[in-house]
Amino acid sequence: MSTTKTSVKQQRAALRKAARNNKLLRSENRAAYILLIPSIIGLIFLTYVPLVEVLGLSLFDWRGVGTPNFVGLGNYIRLFTKDPYFVDSIKVTIFYSILAVFGSIIYSFIVALLLNRKIPARGFFRALFYLPYVLPAMAVYLGWNWLYETNYGLFNYLLSLIGVDKVMFIASKDMVVPSLALIAIWLSGNLIVIFLAGLQNVPRVYQEAAEIDGANAWNRFWNITVPCMTPIIFYNLIMSLVTNLQVVTPALALTNGGPGNSSRFISYVMYQYAFKDGKFSYACAISFVLFLLIAAFSSLLFLSSSSWVYSEGGND
Amino acid sequence: MKKLIALLLCASMALGMAACTSSGKQDPTDAPATDAPATDGPATDAPDGEKVEITYSYWGTPDEAASVQEVADKYNAENPGVHVTVMAIPNEEYVTKLNTMAVAKELPDCGIMNEGGVLDFAAKGLLADISSMYEGADSMPLDSITFKSEGQPVAYSAANEILFLYYNKDMFDAAGVEYPSATEPMTWDEFVNTAKLLTLDANGNNATSADFDANSIVQYGCNVDNWTWQLEVWALSNGGRWFSEDGKECTINSPEVAESIQKVADLYLVDHVAPYRPGLEDSGIQSTIAAGNVAMATGGTWNVGTCMNTAEFEYGVARLPVMKNEVTICTGGPQVVFSQSKHPQEAMDFIKWYMQEENSWDSLIATGIWMPILEEYYTDEALTHKWVDNPNFPAYEEFKPAVVDYAMEKAVSTCWYYIPHTNEFIEYLRGILGPVWTGEQTAADVLADGYETLNSIFLDN
Amino acid sequence: MKKSASIKSRKRQQRIADSSAFAVLILLALIAMLPIYWIFRSSLMTNNELFAWPPKLLPPNWLFSNYSAALEYFPFWKYLKNTMIIIVPSVLAGTITATMGGYAFARLRFAGKKFLFTLVIGSMFLPTMVTLIPLYIMWTNLFHLSDSFLPLILPYFCGGGAFNIFLVRQFVSTIPRELDEAAMIDGAGFFRILSSIIVPAIKSAMITVAMLLFVQMWNDLLQQMIYINSSEKFTIAIGLSQFKGSLKSDWSAIMCATCMSFVPGIIIYLIGQRYFVEGIVMTGMKN
Repeated sequence: MSTTKTSVKQQRAALRKAARNNKLLRSENRAAYILLIPSIIGLIFLTYVPLVEVLGLSLFDWRGVGTPNFVGLGNYIRLFTKDPYFVDSIKVTIFYSILAVFGSIIYSFIVALLLNRKIPARGFFRALFYLPYVLPAMAVYLGWNWLYETNYGLFNYLLSLIGVDKVMFIASKDMVVPSLALIAIWLSGNLIVIFLAGLQNVPRVYQEAAEIDGANAWNRFWNITVPCMTPIIFYNLIMSLVTNLQVVTPALALTNGGPGNSSRFISYVMYQYAFKDGKFSYACAISFVLFLLIAAFSSLLFLSSSSWVYSEGGND
Repeated sequence: MKKLIALLLCASMALGMAACTSSGKQDPTDAPATDAPATDGPATDAPDGEKVEITYSYWGTPDEAASVQEVADKYNAENPGVHVTVMAIPNEEYVTKLNTMAVAKELPDCGIMNEGGVLDFAAKGLLADISSMYEGADSMPLDSITFKSEGQPVAYSAANEILFLYYNKDMFDAAGVEYPSATEPMTWDEFVNTAKLLTLDANGNNATSADFDANSIVQYGCNVDNWTWQLEVWALSNGGRWFSEDGKECTINSPEVAESIQKVADLYLVDHVAPYRPGLEDSGIQSTIAAGNVAMATGGTWNVGTCMNTAEFEYGVARLPVMKNEVTICTGGPQVVFSQSKHPQEAMDFIKWYMQEENSWDSLIATGIWMPILEEYYTDEALTHKWVDNPNFPAYEEFKPAVVDYAMEKAVSTCWYYIPHTNEFIEYLRGILGPVWTGEQTAADVLADGYETLNSIFLDN
Repeated sequence: MKKSASIKSRKRQQRIADSSAFAVLILLALIAMLPIYWIFRSSLMTNNELFAWPPKLLPPNWLFSNYSAALEYFPFWKYLKNTMIIIVPSVLAGTITATMGGYAFARLRFAGKKFLFTLVIGSMFLPTMVTLIPLYIMWTNLFHLSDSFLPLILPYFCGGGAFNIFLVRQFVSTIPRELDEAAMIDGAGFFRILSSIIVPAIKSAMITVAMLLFVQMWNDLLQQMIYINSSEKFTIAIGLSQFKGSLKSDWSAIMCATCMSFVPGIIIYLIGQRYFVEGIVMTGMKN
């Protein structure tokens, strides 16, 4: 009797709790949707509907005016078989991205490590390395132009002082992509800040324990700092990869895709077709391929992350 | 916070709803033509029923835009029924802007256009018919600067610009070399030899000397601008053509064309008499002769008023050197009326007025930036005097034969006056010529490899 | 004895390491500042001096008059005002809506969460240029918003971009859940928790987001170019691009305008920096 009574009581309590929980869940649901309304609107009308439109338009021949003609996959077939720029532009973009992504990760990690030491005027140096990132990008490229310039540029002047012949930094087919990647590395102040934040979070205890065990600086760095930093490295990698695969500003501001076609990035090819030649639907096909390319690279990175990103229990 | 969220909610709802109604209508061409809200002037600018609002688009630097606005203000003062507003668009973004505006049916009423896009715009039906513009006039614009589609005029250039040779008289004096003649052009070989005498290394040796050090050049003898469209003149000079005369065929794969481009490239590669230039932009005059590091440079007439006016030395002008034929090319951005305009008549009246020499005289013609478009300025010596005999120009005796007569006798149309898709064509050509300027490939090779693509751009298939 | 010697030597090693690190840092800093110095130097020279060989490391005559000349055709204050009209509401709205979204994804349970989050992540891969044309048609043909700042501002009322939602979510995840649970027991609703607990705790992340948004808009020449027609409404980015002319480029004026356009970015950074750097240090990031 008494046992059933208590069990009924328990059941009731559990039910009440469940109801409360349910109510909570409902109100949680509602709160979440209210909070997400702006984002959902953005996702639908500013991202996915336009994306579907792009995909739809890419099946037509449409040059900005007049009625679009349906051409099926014609634009895509042309891209991969006949287009004078497209296939090369994929190669160039990937090459550039590899240099820029790894270069800026390494550069910003090193600078962050240096800034993380006990050094005088730390705030000043931090500001200094971050500075390039907050300047107008177009303007920055124009400034670099005067460093790289073949006939009157500063770099060639410095080289001539030590007796080296002129180097065509952005004027030669082989040098242009590395030269542009160097600018991208210089611009990576935002990565430095995020690395710095991560470095401050590496638990001191581990470092000290390792020190007592007699591990040298290199071992400590490699076995403690780097594993603790992998989540941050991962975030920076994704950020930097997605940004660099979309690269277009250096081509617009500095090289016009040249010399030859050696800095004709995918986004630049798309820009030219859409806005200079008015071949909008063809450009839509390019942008859709670019979208797939970025998604593919990022997914690869996400998939690989489980094997090298160190997670301390994690949340969620 | 709550209030803010509520506010945001309302805003986003409104947006979402409006967007919803949109997604049903995907075909952009279905969208109704919008009443181009060209300007948003002050509220006092109430419609008085009569006034026609015209927008005129123009590219250029801020100072150029300011001078164009002055011209428009003059027109507004003379024509109370019309109000013209100048829409200044940065030069590099001009085509981009026009293309996007065309999509949204937001094009201005009239404007200047880049030469390379004119025939494409005409083919898309974006240009209004302006054939009545010079009906019954006694002096017509020069035929060489009339854009034609199927033989019919579709647009007239606002200015005439030809290519010729600028030279620095001080450098010639210092080297003891005779000035180029204003009437008798040099042959290409004479030109290269003259350039050698004027190319100096850090030790003062010229390029003919045995001790000449090509790695320490401080003064170059010449710069032949390799900005892509200007190369057409050398093809013609060498007896070749980019396109057949009737515009039906692309003949850029001929040996004469390849040779002409190679000769230009060799000035830097072989003879060491010219600086390296990647051929990306129009700074040929500005960064060479005007900067005082090159003795002779080819360039367009506009440089008289834009770059050479601030030169700190005395300069002269001469005809282009000759490979086989004596020739130059002419060009000039046209003033057009866009077919999306609601007031095509008023827009045409304005550009016709604007193209009359006297209305752009002080800002553009007397300064040397534009050459007149009407034939009479070239044939009637009194008018030529009025135009050229002023301190902005080199000596009349030099300029008249080397430029004015040259334009009349030897200038032929640049290909974009009668060939469509030249923007795309020249863009591709610029790309493949990159390795030619650095010596990585020869002109003959890149043209042979690229011909198929060039031809398919020309045929648009 | 031996131990103290080793501590000493270790201290010396440490000192050597510190000072050599500092030396490397100074060297890197000098290299990093070089392009900026070069732009500044160029802004004080004439066009012809710029094309001279060998290049001059210092301006031969410090032509500060270039600035007044550039200001004549580069109405800096007007352009700055226009730029700020776009940036200020966008940054505020973008930061707020990204925080709302980030919080929801980090903390709340709701139907379709996984799906929505996938959509957010997916939109990270979408370059702005891809959707430019459909969006342009939508704003101009549907809403008749041509020559208006609204197409540049309104998108930021819609979540502030996937990267920022993601960033906020990461930060919110690092805040101990006990804090909001305690507040909930006290009867606080989700919005109260967001405004009184989460927001103060991730203030630094929000400032980071605001900075990212600022830089993004500051650099967005293409969209500004496309949506703005009249020169009355030009922004700094458009104004800068206007200097490269059809017939010539006035380089020293370009350099002057460039230098002037650096200033607002630097000021904004200096204001944000305090929160920015300290703040990230406090909360950090975990994946």
